[in-house]
Amino acid sequence: MDPFSAEGELLNIHNAFHSGQYQFVIDFDTAALSPENQLPARVFKLRAQIAQGQANEVLAAVSSEEDTPDLAAIKALAQQAAGKTDAALRLAQDLAENYPDNFTVQFVCGTVLQAQDHSEEALALLSKHQGSLEAVALIVQIHLQQNRTDLALKEVQAAKRWAQDSLLVNLAESWVGLRVGGEKYQSAFYVYEELASAPSTTAPLSIVGQAVAELHLGRVPEAEAALTAALEKYPEDAELIANSIVLNVLAGKQTADLESRLQHAQPSHALLADIQEKSEFFDTAAAKYSPKVSS
Amino acid sequence: MQSSPNMLTKFESKSSRAKGIAFHPKRPWILVSLHSSTIQLWDYRMGTLIDRFEEHDGPVRGIDFHPTQPLFVSGGDDYKIKVWNYQTRRCLFTLNGHLDYVRTVFFHPELPWILSASDDQTIRIWNWQNRSLICTMTGHNHYVMCAQFHPTEDLIASASLDQSVRIWDISGLRKKHSAPTSISFEDQMARANPNQADMFGNTDAIVKFVLEGHDRGVNWVSFHPTLPLIVSAGDDRLVKLWRMSDTKAWEVDTCRGHFQNASACLFHPHQDLILSVGEDKTIRVWDLNKRTSVQSFKRDLDRFWVIAAHPKMNLFAAGHDTGVMVFKLERERPASAVYQNQLFYITKEKHVKSYDFVKGVESPPMLSLRKLGSPWVPPRTVSYNPAERAILVTSPTDSGTYELIHLPRDATGAVEPTDVKRGQATSAVFVARNRFAVFNPASQQVDIKDLSNSTTKTIKPPAGTTDIYFGGTGCLLFITPTTVALFDIQQKKQLAEVTVSGVKYVVWSNDGLYCALLSKHNVTIVTKTLEQVSTLHETIRIKSATWDDAGVLIYSTLNHVKYSLLNGDNGIIRTLDQTVYLVRVKGRNVYCLDRNAQPQILQIDPTEYRFKLALVKRNYDEMLQIIKTSSLVGQSIISYLQKKGYPEIALQFVQDPQTRFDLALECGNLDVAIDMARELDRPNFWSRLGAEALAHGNHQTVEMTYQKQRNFDKLSFLYLATGDKEKLSRMAKIAEHRGDFTSRFQNGIYRGDVEDRIQMFKEVDQYPLAYLTAKSNGMTEEAESILEACGLTEDQISLPTIEEPLKVPHPIVPTFKSNWPIKAAGHSSFEKALLGEVGASDEEAAADGFEIEDDEQEAVLAKDTLDDDEEDASGWDMGDDVNVEEDVEFVNVESPEAGAGSSEADLWARNSPLAADHVAAGSFDTAMQLLNRQVGAVQFAPLKSRFLEVFKASKTYLPATVGLPPLVNYVRRTTEETDSRKVLPIIPRDLETVANADLQEGYAAMRANKLEEGVEIFKGILHTLLVNTVSSEAEVDQAKKIISTAREYILAMSIELERRTLSTDDPENLKRSLELSAYFTIPKLEVAHRQLALMAAMKFAFANKNYNSALGFANRMLANGGSAKLLDQAKKIKAQCERNPSDQIDIEFDQFAEFDICAASYTPIFSGSPCVTDPFTGAKYHEQYKGSVCRISKVTEIGAPASGLRLFVPGQY
Repeated sequence: MDPFSAEGELLNIHNAFHSGQYQFVIDFDTAALSPENQLPARVFKLRAQIAQGQANEVLAAVSSEEDTPDLAAIKALAQQAAGKTDAALRLAQDLAENYPDNFTVQFVCGTVLQAQDHSEEALALLSKHQGSLEAVALIVQIHLQQNRTDLALKEVQAAKRWAQDSLLVNLAESWVGLRVGGEKYQSAFYVYEELASAPSTTAPLSIVGQAVAELHLGRVPEAEAALTAALEKYPEDAELIANSIVLNVLAGKQTADLESRLQHAQPSHALLADIQEKSEFFDTAAAKYSPKVSS
Repeated sequence: MQSSPNMLTKFESKSSRAKGIAFHPKRPWILVSLHSSTIQLWDYRMGTLIDRFEEHDGPVRGIDFHPTQPLFVSGGDDYKIKVWNYQTRRCLFTLNGHLDYVRTVFFHPELPWILSASDDQTIRIWNWQNRSLICTMTGHNHYVMCAQFHPTEDLIASASLDQSVRIWDISGLRKKHSAPTSISFEDQMARANPNQADMFGNTDAIVKFVLEGHDRGVNWVSFHPTLPLIVSAGDDRLVKLWRMSDTKAWEVDTCRGHFQNASACLFHPHQDLILSVGEDKTIRVWDLNKRTSVQSFKRDLDRFWVIAAHPKMNLFAAGHDTGVMVFKLERERPASAVYQNQLFYITKEKHVKSYDFVKGVESPPMLSLRKLGSPWVPPRTVSYNPAERAILVTSPTDSGTYELIHLPRDATGAVEPTDVKRGQATSAVFVARNRFAVFNPASQQVDIKDLSNSTTKTIKPPAGTTDIYFGGTGCLLFITPTTVALFDIQQKKQLAEVTVSGVKYVVWSNDGLYCALLSKHNVTIVTKTLEQVSTLHETIRIKSATWDDAGVLIYSTLNHVKYSLLNGDNGIIRTLDQTVYLVRVKGRNVYCLDRNAQPQILQIDPTEYRFKLALVKRNYDEMLQIIKTSSLVGQSIISYLQKKGYPEIALQFVQDPQTRFDLALECGNLDVAIDMARELDRPNFWSRLGAEALAHGNHQTVEMTYQKQRNFDKLSFLYLATGDKEKLSRMAKIAEHRGDFTSRFQNGIYRGDVEDRIQMFKEVDQYPLAYLTAKSNGMTEEAESILEACGLTEDQISLPTIEEPLKVPHPIVPTFKSNWPIKAAGHSSFEKALLGEVGASDEEAAADGFEIEDDEQEAVLAKDTLDDDEEDASGWDMGDDVNVEEDVEFVNVESPEAGAGSSEADLWARNSPLAADHVAAGSFDTAMQLLNRQVGAVQFAPLKSRFLEVFKASKTYLPATVGLPPLVNYVRRTTEETDSRKVLPIIPRDLETVANADLQEGYAAMRANKLEEGVEIFKGILHTLLVNTVSSEAEVDQAKKIISTAREYILAMSIELERRTLSTDDPENLKRSLELSAYFTIPKLEVAHRQLALMAAMKFAFANKNYNSALGFANRMLANGGSAKLLDQAKKIKAQCERNPSDQIDIEFDQFAEFDICAASYTPIFSGSPCVTDPFTGAKYHEQYKGSVCRISKVTEIGAPASGLRLFVPGQY
């Protein structure tokens, strides 16, 4: 039986991980699981730890078990998260070559490869998946990052045929929906709203998703309500802060505070990098112009 | 045969055999005549016995209410017909005449007639006004079991044990007894012999038809209310349906099913159904058109004898061996679901409709659910899914079925639904966007299904579960007879449980935080995690509930709309004429569905519960607001406040002085108490006030109350205690004056006034005491004179040993001068709010006098100014659509197969020729290029923050796979658009914000004289508009207007700022200052602001003796009109200047000439002289400034060739 199906043992941990409830995953009691599900559950826990910023602990935990390809893949991910990008890339490429059919290797190494802009390699590795939703989600994301909404849409629709109700497929569909726009914004909103309002799945991830969908729908006050409430609860969440900045600009409010908070929470955030880049770009572009007569 | 699920028993009574039943036409009353000779009057809604009437001997079989009067009629086995008044509770009179048992009695619907059927084989008609028998109908040759009037025609139907049903024509009788037009001989004859046949043997009533078909005696017959149909029930166990025309009547069909004598039958008042009862202990319902059994209900032991229908409502009553039951055939609660501002509901015709709360309109039918369930069973519930626009409907038919139906996009009429998914369940609710739960009580199983109706999960609910409800996203509520449990579907575990018995309905608050559990007589409010918040009990059935936005539960009982706060405080809002089902509350409107499934709006007064809510939340401002704006008075609110410990607030509501006094004492508000005591002026109030004031330490009030009460002793003691000697001596005088020696003595002691005491003793002939006093105080002379007066000598008296005389202590602090430290009067925060508000508003009024006027002026004159602006803007050519598109070069990088595509940002730049869209796309270089071409922008630094602002708003960050950067999505202003060639970015600070917020802020800066700030604000406006988009040509015009307004203000403020930098010491600077102050009046500001400029210029000119200029300014001010204060000054100055209209300093300003001000040099540009214009702002400059940066915008180049700013592309938005 597919361990992730509605009746499967891993459904809860899988859903919790993908709805961003990392602490729940880490605290999940795996003792009751059947032996063949122990390893996937462990992988989830380690990934949740990495997501919580405990990459070094994970590295220490898996150092002695590198023989298992799953855990070796996790090591690569942890290295990536810990900033040892070269080692991570080497290990990931190595694993991709040796264990291309391993389920964990596929999406974990795919993540590492994509994170380092080796999109083609990542896609090649992921294309070998056999019914892995995580692989599908990653493929969708890679396509979206490459601005190939059309391919992402195709991937999602294919996955929907065999896993219509999986949380991950719903999420991936929402990602695509937020690119496509129009009515899809509303659908994406419903997915995230449902996650955010259900007590068992509410997390910064789902609230951000809901607020982003609302921003795209042009419903600034609603988005503001969601983000303000969430920011009080999770003051350090970088994506919450980043999207709050966007929101505040749209609402005509000052953002300097939030920008410094973001600087503090995650200096490498794309928003800050973009602003920095564009600010310099502005200066060079503006320098081409000058008045005929200086006053 | 089991009890049908649809027969709903509303009331049951226990008594002896019930033989006759009558519904009151309006009130919830039913009359029951019993075999035991009693007649009972029940309130079936409350379930109470109202009255008993016991004057018959033996069984009472016939009973009927009069349709309009407070009368009823009964007929019994004592051969008597009695007419009663139920108000006076007396039998009015008895009609004697029948010679055997009276079986039925009925009032005529209009005429003052009573129809009776008797075992003496006759049917009689009586006039109850003159209490006479007017007609006897003979013909039946056995007991007549039943006789009824036709509801509209002059017909009577009778049923007899002679196996026949007869239809009688009584039009002759009516003619005879209606007002005579011309009295013929026959008429007179007929009147003279009312009971007999006339001379030709005709009676007033003739048999029209004899219906034969029953094989045994017939027990009952009824007319159809509208159709020419008759139904009869007989001992042959059959119910027969007959039809009649004017000339004949025939049997239509027979309803077979009763297996014992059928006792009574009738037509359903408004549905095509027949109801019958029999001695086989069943009530049966038949389809009138098919004559098939629709449903039946069986009692275990009791034979049924009679059935009656309520004339209007969906209610029936049946009498049996041990009493009466009142029941309805179907639930009347219309199935409905609310989503945001829409109500979805199912009408009586089983059409799905929606109702928009905001617009107050009903949609046409969207779907017909005719095929759902069985024809006579309405759907029970509906659940709505907004994401899929689908509904789930359940019907109790076949032990529960549900259907999942997608609503059509537009309501086009009652179409049959296509693509219906159905299944077996008693309850079905949506639990998520793509999931619903169905509950099957037989298997005690809840299935979670997806939209294709396949089961994805199965849950075992707690044992005994009767119903399920939505429990918040992803959760379900399981209702058992004693508990409610919250269950998380995903985790498959029970999260919480609360013990509440008999929950029937669950109503969630709008914010999803609270939930009301409705049972028959209880409302329990719980949180979303099922923690009980409050519970309340109602004696009357609770029907429905809905939540106010503020978190107040509004619920309805059978006859009231009530409210309950979260803390359980509740009260009545209004009464109801008919039962309704609440669906929504908004402001003063309660939206509900009535029993005919029609949306209704009830008006309510929410003041009381809002006030209580404000009280609970300690929202004093709102309470204050409510107190001020509404007439919230009444004993209930006062006692509520008192009970809750807020006497000081209650005080605000009371007019009655005594209550006010009580409340004031309770909250220690002495001032009010004093006022009220004065008004009442009665001793016991003064004494209570005195006691309270003493407790407070307010001895001045105490003094007053003692004075009022003429309580001299206490008063003296008070003066002693406070050390008020002066008043003490006055008290002594008063005592002397009153001749009250005790009091005088007391005062003497208090004051230490020995002489007065001696004097007093002497006056009352107490010489020994007088002597003793004198002696002990060492007043020897006085002592001796007393002795002398008594004719005694010293040695004749033996004295006790005298010690030191008592010294009266002297007050150290004159505490009488002011009160003792007073106990802090309990000023609640509410009172503070009350006081604070009064104070604040005063201040405001004082401080703001001038400003307010200014604002008003502005409002009045805003329109004029706008017109001004328009003229001004017309000179400023925006240039027509110059196609810039081809100038912008792009590289198309899109590759067909693999590899990266172009981002949406690139698309934006490609899709739009507007600079703002390029900025949002991050393509700053092309944006600059565009701005340079359009408005000659050359110095971009001031625009940097605006560029970054627009850019920042363009993207959101959606976290996706862990370990990868978030997905970047592009925020569009075209939210509906999916075509990649038409998508466009959102631009923050749209025109509306600029016009409503920024512009007003600029005006405020002008009013407040913060000119530097103002210049920055208006520059910000210019920059915001420069990088912006609008959605229509009209908005383009508006934007242009705002640009020119901003220009004028910047110019004006800059001139004034320039003037302020100059010192007026040397004559050159003074002249320049005067000029600048004059130029300050030239830019086209709002009139109110121009007045300020004129005022400043006028005063400045006047002070420097430039009377002519000052006169000019004054005239302009007067022409502008406005605040009286300003005009007064202008008038004064005008008057002074007119005496000597000349300027001491000659300045370059001609008030009559047309000119512009150069925005760089602040000197006039007279019309005709050469000048250059800024392509963006339209500001004018002297020619020498051409090519430099515009002083107003700081961005654009003066005189640069430009195509004009583009903010809008037709068809783009």
